[in-house]
Amino acid sequence: MDFDFPADDDQRRTEVREWLKEHSQPTYAQLAEKGFTVPHWPRPWGLGADPELQMIIDDELARAGIRAPHHKNPVPINNCGQSLLRFGTPEQQERFLKPALACEQIWCMLFSEPSAGSDVGALRTTARREGDHYVVRGQKMWTSLADKAHIGVLVARTDPSVPKHAGLSQFLVDMNSPGITIRPIADMSGESGEYNEVFFDDVIVPADRLLGKEGDGWKLSMQQLQTERVALSRPGAIWGSGPSARELVDGLVAAGRFKNTLVRDEAVKLWIEGEILRLLALRSLSDRMNARESGPEGAVRKMVAAPHGQRVLDLAKRSQGVAGMVKNRDVLPMTRAERGPFSNWDHAFWWSPAVTLGVGTQEVLKNVVSERVLGLPREKDPTRHTPFSQIGKTPASQGKAA
Amino acid sequence: MNFSLSEDHIMLRDTTADFLRDQVDLAPLLVPGSDAHQAPYETLWSQICELGWPAMIVPPEHGGLGMTEIDVSIVLRECGRTLAPSPFLGTLAGTWALLIGGSQAQQSRWLPQVAESGLRMALATAPANGDAGATTADVVASAQDDSGDTYRLSGTAHYVVDAPGARLLVVAAMLEGQKRLFLVKGDQEAVHLEWLDWRDITRQVAHVHCHEAKGELMPVDCEAAWPALRNRLHLALAAESAGGLQAVLEDTTNYVKERVAFGRPIGAYQAIKHGLADMLAQTEFTATAVLYAAWAQSQDDRTATLAAAMAQAYASEAYRDATHRSIQMFGAIGFTWEMKNHLYFKRARANAELLGSAAEHRELIARVLEATPH
Repeated sequence: MDFDFPADDDQRRTEVREWLKEHSQPTYAQLAEKGFTVPHWPRPWGLGADPELQMIIDDELARAGIRAPHHKNPVPINNCGQSLLRFGTPEQQERFLKPALACEQIWCMLFSEPSAGSDVGALRTTARREGDHYVVRGQKMWTSLADKAHIGVLVARTDPSVPKHAGLSQFLVDMNSPGITIRPIADMSGESGEYNEVFFDDVIVPADRLLGKEGDGWKLSMQQLQTERVALSRPGAIWGSGPSARELVDGLVAAGRFKNTLVRDEAVKLWIEGEILRLLALRSLSDRMNARESGPEGAVRKMVAAPHGQRVLDLAKRSQGVAGMVKNRDVLPMTRAERGPFSNWDHAFWWSPAVTLGVGTQEVLKNVVSERVLGLPREKDPTRHTPFSQIGKTPASQGKAA
Repeated sequence: MNFSLSEDHIMLRDTTADFLRDQVDLAPLLVPGSDAHQAPYETLWSQICELGWPAMIVPPEHGGLGMTEIDVSIVLRECGRTLAPSPFLGTLAGTWALLIGGSQAQQSRWLPQVAESGLRMALATAPANGDAGATTADVVASAQDDSGDTYRLSGTAHYVVDAPGARLLVVAAMLEGQKRLFLVKGDQEAVHLEWLDWRDITRQVAHVHCHEAKGELMPVDCEAAWPALRNRLHLALAAESAGGLQAVLEDTTNYVKERVAFGRPIGAYQAIKHGLADMLAQTEFTATAVLYAAWAQSQDDRTATLAAAMAQAYASEAYRDATHRSIQMFGAIGFTWEMKNHLYFKRARANAELLGSAAEHRELIARVLEATPH
C-alpha cells in the first residue's frame, strides 16, 4: 500500500508537462486531438489511460491554468459520450463526438420534468414516430447549459402502452430546432441562471437521431447518471467545483477566525470529513487500477459529499455573523485559484441547497444506497408495472366506465 | 500510488477473521451478572501466541516478525470486530513503548520474550484524571544509591488496560520534575492491582498501585516518546473501532431484514433504511481513515499525527453513534444483557475515552493545521 501521489518527476507527468510547454495556450480541439480530453476512453478518442494517468493529466491541466474540458462541456465528456461509443451508430459517432470533445458543440441533458424529478421514469414528454422522423411534445426542466447547448440528449416516451421505464427512448436533438423554446429559471440564489426550462412544441427530430433502440432510454439514462468521472482528489462543495474544507480552514486561519472556539472544532470536524472523502475517492480509483471489485465507497461518497459541502459553506457563512447577510464577496479569503462562479463563497452558499436535490434528492440517494449496498427491501412504486397510459386510472373508475 | 490492500494483507485479514470467528466465545459474558473476570483472556491468548501475534511488531533482530502498522491494524480490526477478549492491546502498547523509549539493552532483554513466549505487557501512564498523555504522573520515582538504573516507584497509575496478568509494565513516574518511563515487573510484591468494575467487560482494566516497586529507567523521557506512542495508540483504538462498526452494521442490517412489524420487515421503513445508510457511510469512512493512518505511520511526523488523530477522532464518535443507533433499531431486545449490542456499545464508549475525547484529538489537529498551512 502506498498513499503517495505520482511523483513530480514521474515520466508520464513530465511528458504531459512537456507537451503543455510546447502548446502553452492549447485549444480544446488540440487537447481533444492529443487525447487529454477523455484520457480514459479508448483510442482514437482517448488514450486508454488508467485512472492514475487520468489524474496526472487533470493535475497538469489545472497547474497550467487550463479550465478542464470536463467542466467546459461536462455532458458528453462525463455522462453521455460513452453511450455513443457503445450504442451509437458509426455515423453518430463521426457526426457528434468530435465537435463535442473539442468543446465546439456544447451538450445538455434533457431529463427532468415538472412532474418527474427523482422519479424520472414518470416523465411525460412524448416522441411519436411519423415516417422518417419523430415529433416531440412536452416540457423539460432544470436543464443546465440549455441556453448554450447545440445538442440536447433527450429522454422521451415513445411507447405509453408499456410500463413507465420500458417506454422511454433517447435522442440527440439539435437545440436550434424549430419549436424549441428555452426559458431561464430564476433560482433562489438570485444571480446564477444555471437552470432552464425547455419547451418542445411538435419538434421534428429525424429518426437517425435515436440513440440505441426504442425502449433503451431508461437503461441509457441510468448508465449516464452513474458514469461519474471520479472527482479526483478535490472534495469541494457544489459537486466538486466549490471550495473544500481545506480551503475553509485556510480561509478561517487567514481571516483570524480559527481562534474562535465556536468555529474551530466544527471546522476541524469538516476538515476530517473532507480528508476522508478525498481518500475514499482515491481508494475507488486505486481499486479500479488494481482491477479489484470496487466496494460501496462510490455511492457512499456521493451521499456524504453533498451535505458535507453544504456544511462547509454554512460554517464559512456563519463565521461572518450578521455581516454575511449582506451580498458580498468577502466571506473568506480564497487561497486558491478562481474556478468559476462557485469560487465565490457567498454565491456558493446561497446556491448550496440545490446540491441535495440535483441528480436525485438526498432521500432517494439514501434509499438507493440502503437497497443496493445493504440489500434492504425496495421502496414500493405502485405504478411500476402499470402501462404508463393507465396510471392514475383506478380500477374502480374503469369499472364504472365499463 | 496504491491504496488497495495487497494480496498478503488480504490473506492476513481473512485468516485472522477465520481464526477469531472460530475461537472467540462471548457467551460467558452474555450471562447476566458476568464481569470482566469471565472474559476468556487466557485461552484466547495462548492461541494468539501460537499464531505469533505478539511478534508482529518486534523487529527481526529481536526474534520478531518486523511487520508494519498496516498489518497490525488489519489484525486489530478483526479483534475489534469480534470483541476478542485478550491482552493483545496492552501488550502492543507496552511493546511500542519499549521500542520507542527503551535502551538497546532493555530491548534486547525483553523483546525476544515478547516475540517468542508472548510476554504480556501493559502501558501505565495516566494520573487520576485518566489523561494518559498528561505531563504529570501520580507515581514518584526515587533513586537508589547503588543500583544504577533501578529506582523505587511509589504511587498509582490509573486505568491501565490489560494490567491484570501483565508480567512487564511500562509505568510513567515523576523523576526530578519530569515524567519518565520505567520498566516494572508485574509479579513483584510491591505492585498491587486494583481490578476496576470496568463497564466494557470484554477488557480487563485496573489501577496499578506501586509501593516502593523496583523500576528500571528507560532513556527516552515520556514527553519525547509520547507523540509516536500516542499516534500508534490512536491507530490501534481506531482500528478496533473500524472492525466494531463493521460488525454492528452487519448485525443490525441482518436483524432489520428479519424483524417484522406492521406487516413488513422493519428494514423496509425509510427511518431505518436511512439510518443504516448513514451507518454504512460511517463504517466506510472509518475503515478508510484507519488504512491511511496505518500507512502514515511510515511517513513524517506531521502526516502521522494528523492521520492518527483524524482516525481516532472520527472512529470514536462514529462507533459511539452507531452502537447507540443499533440498540434503537433492535428495539427493546437490544437493551437486554443477553444480546451483544451492549458489549459493542460499551466498547465504543470506552474506546472513545481511553486516550481523551474526540474534541481533544481535533484540537491537536487544529494546532498542526494552524502551524503549517497546507
